[in-house]
Amino acid sequence: MFGEKALELVKELQRSKTGTISAINEDVMRQVLEEMRALFEQNQRDVTLALAGEQLLFSAIQIRHSALERNKRCLLAYLAGRLNYVRETRWQFGSVLPAEVKQNLSEPELQWFNKYSKCLANYMSSIGGHGGLDLTQDVKPPKTLYIEVRCLTDHGEFETQDGSIVLLKKNSQHFMLRSECEHLVRQGFLEHIVH
Amino acid sequence: MTGGRPCAVCMYYTRRERCHWPTLKEEFFKGMCQRVLVLVAFDVDALCACKILQYLFQCDHILYTIVPVSGREDFERAFVAHSEGIRHVILVNCGATDDIIEMLQPEDNITFFVCDSHRPVDVHNIYNQVQVKLLMRPDELHDVPQFDEVFSDDDEEPEEADDVCEEPEEADDDSGNDSDTSGPVRKKKRVDEQTLEKEREKRLWREARNKRIFEYTEFSGFGTSAALLMFEIAWKMSKDTNDLLWLAILGVTSQYANRQVERDKYIEDIGQLQSHVSRLNNRSEDDSENIISVNCLKITFESELQLTMYRHWSLFESLCHSDYTFCKFKMWSMKGKKRLHEFLADMGLPLVQCRQRFAAMDMSLKETVKDMISKQTEKYSIDEQKLFLPSFHVQFGFKNKFCAMDAVLACEAMLESVSANLTPSDNFLKAGDVLNRSKTECMEKALSQAKMQLQAIVHQVQTFIDMKHQVICAGPFLYAFVTEGTPDASFFSKPTCLCHLAQFTLDAYSTMSHNKRAQNLPLVLGAPQDADLGTMLVVGVPPASDTSRKNFFGKAFEQAAITSNTQMMQDNFDSNVIMLKMDDKSKFFDALISLLQ
Repeated sequence: MFGEKALELVKELQRSKTGTISAINEDVMRQVLEEMRALFEQNQRDVTLALAGEQLLFSAIQIRHSALERNKRCLLAYLAGRLNYVRETRWQFGSVLPAEVKQNLSEPELQWFNKYSKCLANYMSSIGGHGGLDLTQDVKPPKTLYIEVRCLTDHGEFETQDGSIVLLKKNSQHFMLRSECEHLVRQGFLEHIVH
Repeated sequence: MTGGRPCAVCMYYTRRERCHWPTLKEEFFKGMCQRVLVLVAFDVDALCACKILQYLFQCDHILYTIVPVSGREDFERAFVAHSEGIRHVILVNCGATDDIIEMLQPEDNITFFVCDSHRPVDVHNIYNQVQVKLLMRPDELHDVPQFDEVFSDDDEEPEEADDVCEEPEEADDDSGNDSDTSGPVRKKKRVDEQTLEKEREKRLWREARNKRIFEYTEFSGFGTSAALLMFEIAWKMSKDTNDLLWLAILGVTSQYANRQVERDKYIEDIGQLQSHVSRLNNRSEDDSENIISVNCLKITFESELQLTMYRHWSLFESLCHSDYTFCKFKMWSMKGKKRLHEFLADMGLPLVQCRQRFAAMDMSLKETVKDMISKQTEKYSIDEQKLFLPSFHVQFGFKNKFCAMDAVLACEAMLESVSANLTPSDNFLKAGDVLNRSKTECMEKALSQAKMQLQAIVHQVQTFIDMKHQVICAGPFLYAFVTEGTPDASFFSKPTCLCHLAQFTLDAYSTMSHNKRAQNLPLVLGAPQDADLGTMLVVGVPPASDTSRKNFFGKAFEQAAITSNTQMMQDNFDSNVIMLKMDDKSKFFDALISLLQ
């Protein structure tokens, strides 16, 4: 049936929504495009006949056309979904992509990511006074300014905003400014302790 | 000048009575955003105190760094690593017995706040008012040598070098107090009578000082629990909650569980805690308007059965593994086991019920167990004081009910867990999780670990008794060794567990032995620690009949090591626990015997 392959792509996207993104499925994409080309060529042929007076072909053309449209929409949804994911990753992990995400992205997607990242960085440095404003922090309003963290690995010395130095040694516990250690928590060096 | 000093100290005491928190807080805020370094020892009391402190810091948004330290070496290392830019250091259950300034050589602007239950407190710490502040009850620092007795103005370092140094701790004076140190005093060649007289006086004074210091440090002991002191600080700041109170209870209970304090002291502390408990849990049950949710923490005072973890075990197992009942019924023999069965029969408890989990026992039996036992006390001459202990239990939710003693044991077992892939600091964090109310599964795990530990202890005691001449009487004390290669030996490579084993062994031995003196003899117990390094852990516990809980082994071990010229490490904060090379064992013990004779 028409459009089945395209639906497969969308389903795959839906499945990967909870975990990490899977590699771009070029194989199925190509199949969908081939299907579309076949449909288009057939329509082309039939349209010329129909114009010549073959009235019965109109409904067939109509069906093929909607199948074409649907395939197109599915493909675009697939790509847009992936881009959405990439954008969210930027907000979550910062400008450096985690390795397992990076290897699953295609070249154009990577380019898009870099451009997006640059755009966002430029924008963030242009607002909020001379230091810029990091929009990726405190996406949700924080409950406290300070949080308690536990070091999971030896990270070495860490300089805080006020210039003092904290030694992040494995299994030591610290009470720190949330904004300072949020990215370290995301990167997995620290663990946020919730009571 | 010296005349003024003791007075200043008195003043300091009275000021201290109102506790240091205001100053502590003030000083922290002066340097806003100054990070506080908290060094915590590896015991339940310290862990609880630290948790209370954490809460207080979080309330006031004071930044802190917490580092667990397992021993003196670790303590120094942690201080050096983390002290950069730090102005205030809080020591929880560590450091009081050492001259901190001498040991750590801190910069002048660092202040130490010492909350340590170890006694005696080093005299240098007491008389250093600038850098060392003690968070302790002033009335507990009794029998401290007067300032004049241990420090003198003309007791300068260069002269001391001439002196034969016998006592390591009197090696030199603390520099914080003596600002008027003048240059080296050259000995005059012309010996006139005045100088002779002066030197004689000085020598006498020094002798008297050594004697005084020896008297002061001869026995090691424990003061009020650090967790209780921290709770009192919280209370004075009106920040006390039921959760903090529970931590304080655990701290006090752990002191009693490890036999660090005498019963009277425990009862006194419990009395104080009880008033807090009734203040914070005063909702009456029939008051339908004020009913609190089941999920809230409720603490109840109760006379608790001293059967280890019986709520989480079967009654039978618990009877077999509790210190008192094990020794009372002499459970190591067949006769003893029969006696236990007889006891259960007299109580009217079916064996089937006793053998299944306590939680699954008949409701009617469960509720009357305590009365049943107390009815039998006369027949079996059971000391009620030893079997029943005023204590607390906590409840939140329908399922979670823990008594203080069990929680302490669970936490201790977690602190000293022996899994190969866990570092001590991992254990510390895990033990902290056990006390966390939202992680009850940690508690369950810890309880099963505590059971394993206890089984190992009981098994080892059984071995000691079954194999004759395992506990040897050396005249002034008893001693025993855990043989290398025993399956459970790894448990005994940890100090608290080894202490428990020593106390258990001593109790069992003194009830079993025909030797009347066994009651009054202390025990020294050794266990292999690290097979690769060939080291062993040795612990000394006071006699079973001694209730004062004072321990002279710290000093005795030190002396024995000096006279026998052996290498030993007194790394643990408890001075009665030392590390010894396996090869030096006999040399060291010969010296110890001759010393104590």
